[in-house]
Amino acid sequence: MIIRLKDINKTYPGVVPLHVLKDINLDIERGELVAIMGASGSGKSTLLNILGILDNYDSGEYFLDGVLIKDLSENRAAELRNRMIGFVFQSFNLISYKNAVENVALPLFYQGVSRRKRNMLAMEQLERMGLADRAHHLPGELSGGQKQRVAIARSLITNPSIILADEPTGALDSTTSHDVMNLFRELNAEGMTIVIVTHDPGVGAATNRIIRISDGRIVPDEPVIAEQPQIIV
Amino acid sequence: MFDLINEIGQTMRNNKLRTGLTGFAVAWGIFMLIILLGLSRGLMSGFEANSSERNLNSVSVWRGMTSIPYKGYKEGRQIRLKASTVDKLNQSNNKYIGNASAYNYIDSAKVTGPKDYVSNGIEGIAPESQRDQRIKIYAGRFINQADMNNNRKVMVISRKTAKTIFGSDSTEVIGQRVKSLGLAWTIVGLFDREWGEDDNYVPFNTAVALSGGDPSIWSMNVYIENVSDEKTALEAEDAIRGELAKIYDFHPADRSAAPMWNRFTNYLQNKEGMKILDYAVWIIGIFTMLSGIVGVSNIMFVSVRERTHEIGIRRAIGAKRRNILTQIILESVSITTIFGYLGIVMGMIVMQIIAHFFGNGGSGNSPLGNPTVDLSIALKVTLVLIIAGALAGLFPALKATKVKPVEALRDE
Ligand SMILES: Nc1ncnc2c1ncn2[C@@H]1O[C@H](COP(=O)(O)OP(=O)(O)OP(=O)(O)O)[C@@H](O)[C@H]1O
Ligand SMILES: [Mg+2]
Repeated sequence: MIIRLKDINKTYPGVVPLHVLKDINLDIERGELVAIMGASGSGKSTLLNILGILDNYDSGEYFLDGVLIKDLSENRAAELRNRMIGFVFQSFNLISYKNAVENVALPLFYQGVSRRKRNMLAMEQLERMGLADRAHHLPGELSGGQKQRVAIARSLITNPSIILADEPTGALDSTTSHDVMNLFRELNAEGMTIVIVTHDPGVGAATNRIIRISDGRIVPDEPVIAEQPQIIV
Repeated sequence: MFDLINEIGQTMRNNKLRTGLTGFAVAWGIFMLIILLGLSRGLMSGFEANSSERNLNSVSVWRGMTSIPYKGYKEGRQIRLKASTVDKLNQSNNKYIGNASAYNYIDSAKVTGPKDYVSNGIEGIAPESQRDQRIKIYAGRFINQADMNNNRKVMVISRKTAKTIFGSDSTEVIGQRVKSLGLAWTIVGLFDREWGEDDNYVPFNTAVALSGGDPSIWSMNVYIENVSDEKTALEAEDAIRGELAKIYDFHPADRSAAPMWNRFTNYLQNKEGMKILDYAVWIIGIFTMLSGIVGVSNIMFVSVRERTHEIGIRRAIGAKRRNILTQIILESVSITTIFGYLGIVMGMIVMQIIAHFFGNGGSGNSPLGNPTVDLSIALKVTLVLIIAGALAGLFPALKATKVKPVEALRDE
């Protein structure tokens, strides 16, 4: 079990406090490829932030790879994010003035890995993504799909336990979306656990399991799509 | 560490305008500070040089007029200083009174050489006045004590006068004779001076003897001894006045009877003024530094706000607060140090130019001294710049550490 959520509640404080996540119980096994789907504002991103230790929750328990993620110090959270989690975002979140290799290598910078080793590992990841020839381009010089592949390379560089992606295809056209989803499927086939938040039913269909969330609650289990067609159109 | 510097270089290059503006502000502040410090130091070293050239521990006394009735004399009596007074003061045992000297000007005297004559009069002068009068000997020597003791008929004239009356200002003139007041005088020295080139100096005692009797003198110079501060300097003045009061029968507290200029108190006052100038420069300097720090701080704040998203990304992928803190502070330190040095270099260049054009004409007395900065000053300056930069970066950096990693996920 890589992710175990028990009765997670999250309320955004405010003049009118917003109870966004209500008694969330969720288990995700190692090696799963999961989609989280639901209407806008239903709390998908909030849930993913909690999974990614980017945000806190109010009550319940969250175990990531057996570690209880609760009341962590900022430093410990940063360390766990760095070592255990790879993030992929809708808007790529690459640093605009760093070229592809530097962006991919950045998480290792914070691990204190030497520059030479970092760049070597980053090159390997870019080669894996088929972007070796774009290694020294700035994000502004790359297409959307290329940017997202750089971001995926960055998420993989620390060899994390899980990849969390929030609308990874949201800014891409359908062909590119398919390429990215095929990439995720390949990574999953190699054993990587991946959680994808999406609106896109096509993306959902390309995963092995869909978790539906509605108004902060998990909708009781859909039948798991057992036999997955190899290529999704 | 090298990685971090690289990282900072990258962000600075990425924000050229911001870096440039901040840098300009810093460089300008430091530049102005250097100019200010340089000018004040120039002023001070000029003052010190001046002070050391003149004899500080001396008092000039002039002829005066009494203002207090005394021993049956009414006020308003002229006090005519006599040449004999110089000797009397020299014989005084007062602990404050040192050597006294005076001038005796015989204005009717002509000085005639083989070629021409000048009618500027002759001036009886004591050997010790050479320094006060800044008489630079070009050839031969100045009046000496033996000349004084033996009432020798020797004369020191300017090169200009030598040219007029001998037609030459070469050393051959030394030892030659001139005529004045119907007597023959030996030229023992030629002097060189920008002003007062018309003076013809003879020993004071000779001039007094020639004047006949006890000629009156315009002024006297009295060295004062055992003075160290304002109080003792004033006591020395009182001592001189007391001696004169005995000789000329005026009230010992009558200042106008013998007006004085005390170079020592004057020096003390100037020194006080210099101290105030020094403080002022320091205060201005500190405020310049502070405003520089505030300026850099402000721009770093803007930079942190602009880069909220970027900082969020860094936090999300594993940057600790400490990493963000050091990055922002080092950025601030880099900007401050690099541009601070630029300001220093520019300031030194401009100071050299100023020193070249306005300094005491190539006497090597540049206000900034040797342009090769020595290591300890370089280290001190570096330390100050680093501390200032760190202070400027501290609060923006603390703000940057407050950026939550969720910011990275928040789109647009
Ligand atoms: N930092 C915040 N403070 C207050 N309310 C928030 C905050 N972040 C999100 N919310 C609110 O919480 C609710 C859930 O937000 P969330 O971002 O999780 O939705 P979502 O399912 O990801 O929606 P979308 O599909 O549009 O991305 C929304 O109503 C949103 O307005
Ligand atoms: Mg969302």
